[in-house]
Amino acid sequence: MLKDLLHVFVPDTHTLSNGKKVKEKFNNTPYIIIFLILLIVVCAVFTDVDFIKFFKRFTKGWTFVVRMLHPQWSYWDTAKQAMIDTIIISLVGTAFGSLIALPMSFYLSSNFKLNKAYLAVHRSFLSIFRTLPTLVYALLLSLVIGYGTTAGTLATAIFTYTVAVKMLYENIETVNMGAYEALESTGASRAKCMIKAIFPQIKAFYLSTVLYCFEMNIRSAAILGYVGAGGIGVRLNDTIGNMDYEKTGLLVLVLIIVVVIVETTSREIRKKLVNG
Amino acid sequence: MSEKLTVKKQYEKYPNSLPFFIALFIGIVVLYLLTDYICTFKGMSEMGWVLAKNAINGILHPNVDKLFSLDESCVPYLLAETFSIAFLGTLVGAILALPFAFFSSRNITNNVCAYTGLTIISILRGFPTVLYGIIFVKIVGTGPFAGVLTMSISSMGMLTKLLIEAIEDVDKGVIEALDASGCTTFQKVRYGIIPQLSSNILSTIIYRLDINVKNATVLGLCAAGGIGAELIFSIGGRRWNDCGAYLLGLVILVLVLEFVSTKIRRKLATGE
Repeated sequence: MLKDLLHVFVPDTHTLSNGKKVKEKFNNTPYIIIFLILLIVVCAVFTDVDFIKFFKRFTKGWTFVVRMLHPQWSYWDTAKQAMIDTIIISLVGTAFGSLIALPMSFYLSSNFKLNKAYLAVHRSFLSIFRTLPTLVYALLLSLVIGYGTTAGTLATAIFTYTVAVKMLYENIETVNMGAYEALESTGASRAKCMIKAIFPQIKAFYLSTVLYCFEMNIRSAAILGYVGAGGIGVRLNDTIGNMDYEKTGLLVLVLIIVVVIVETTSREIRKKLVNG
Repeated sequence: MSEKLTVKKQYEKYPNSLPFFIALFIGIVVLYLLTDYICTFKGMSEMGWVLAKNAINGILHPNVDKLFSLDESCVPYLLAETFSIAFLGTLVGAILALPFAFFSSRNITNNVCAYTGLTIISILRGFPTVLYGIIFVKIVGTGPFAGVLTMSISSMGMLTKLLIEAIEDVDKGVIEALDASGCTTFQKVRYGIIPQLSSNILSTIIYRLDINVKNATVLGLCAAGGIGAELIFSIGGRRWNDCGAYLLGLVILVLVLEFVSTKIRRKLATGE
């Protein structure tokens, strides 16, 4: 029994008929499985996982959900205004972020042999900033420049910039440089070469990145407002604080409808862009 | 064939960029109007400058005590908690997402099932994470367990979407070949479907784990555990040195995870 178990972990050695010894290939799967099980147990202890409690007290959250399922329609005007604000915040933030990202991504891609030190520094800064969630930007900005839609827009723009620039420069590094070299050999300036030879190749990808960012920003808009940075999140926070869950229900309904519409449209457009 | 290629003729073939510039102009005007509508910003107040200066100064000088002590409100403990929440949340989310993904893949079930599944997923994805958090906190009380539940529900949507793509890409030829050689259904699943899917599914799950750790801050808004609550309180209370420590911890955790997950995913994709 123990021997059987042992050769799961330790590779066997076989002796061939000519006396040569052959070792089986080492298989690390059992070790990975044991490690994962240990990790799960440790994490579960750490986070007090208790599904029995969850199923026992399942009805506790029910009143909240039921009240949200009966939206209060008289709140429609405020909800509509908040949603429009949110959409405009996402639009403007995405536009500014991606407009700055486009020229910057040319400077950050390694195939133009621009300044290498600058490239390395800027890239590592970007990867640090990318790890911070939008929430942190929104919190800091709304403290510094005041609560309101401006902070939300700025936070969205910064987040969009950090995400879009990485996707773009990785794409630019894979383009065909032949056209660029051909234009360069005719004596065109570097900027002109980039616009005429590289940009047409990444145009579709750029548009699809912008749409993707817009989608993400609409989705995170609820959180932005939650810390006071304008839009529908502010109303969500208010209504939950006042226990007006019927109003929350309406807000969530509007939010879900907009998110689904934006997502579906953007997916269709992106599919068209990628397939030409 | 007597046409000669002249510079003038070629030049006339140059694409007309007027429509592009008109579109650009309209775009800029619209953007300006929208910005004007949304920006209520009337210049920074004196207070704002002081705050910004303090914030940058504090964040660049993180509180070393918070960074290394093993107390419950200090960085190592909170990071471990955040990682645990994200890890278990992703795992439970994946377990929930797998049957859902099989149910709504067009090549396994019919179109009606697929559309129903996709609609449910869209609605689940549209529902804000914070609200899931609030609901689960109401059910199981504040603490990391609520965070695990929130994470699992909120990552289920995206996982399902990516898994559906993986399942719809499955090569049916392999299954037919196994069928022809007389395999049972179990053998077909074991040797025909699982090897094709496993690396894709694993890589999706690891990718989502990455995102979940990054997004775990949001759980702090509804007291569902993790580093988020402390981070938000430290910013609200203007304890910039603590805030710097938390941010530094978060950045390191995310960067390390990103590095590891990229390595594993590359290995899964190329088999090296």
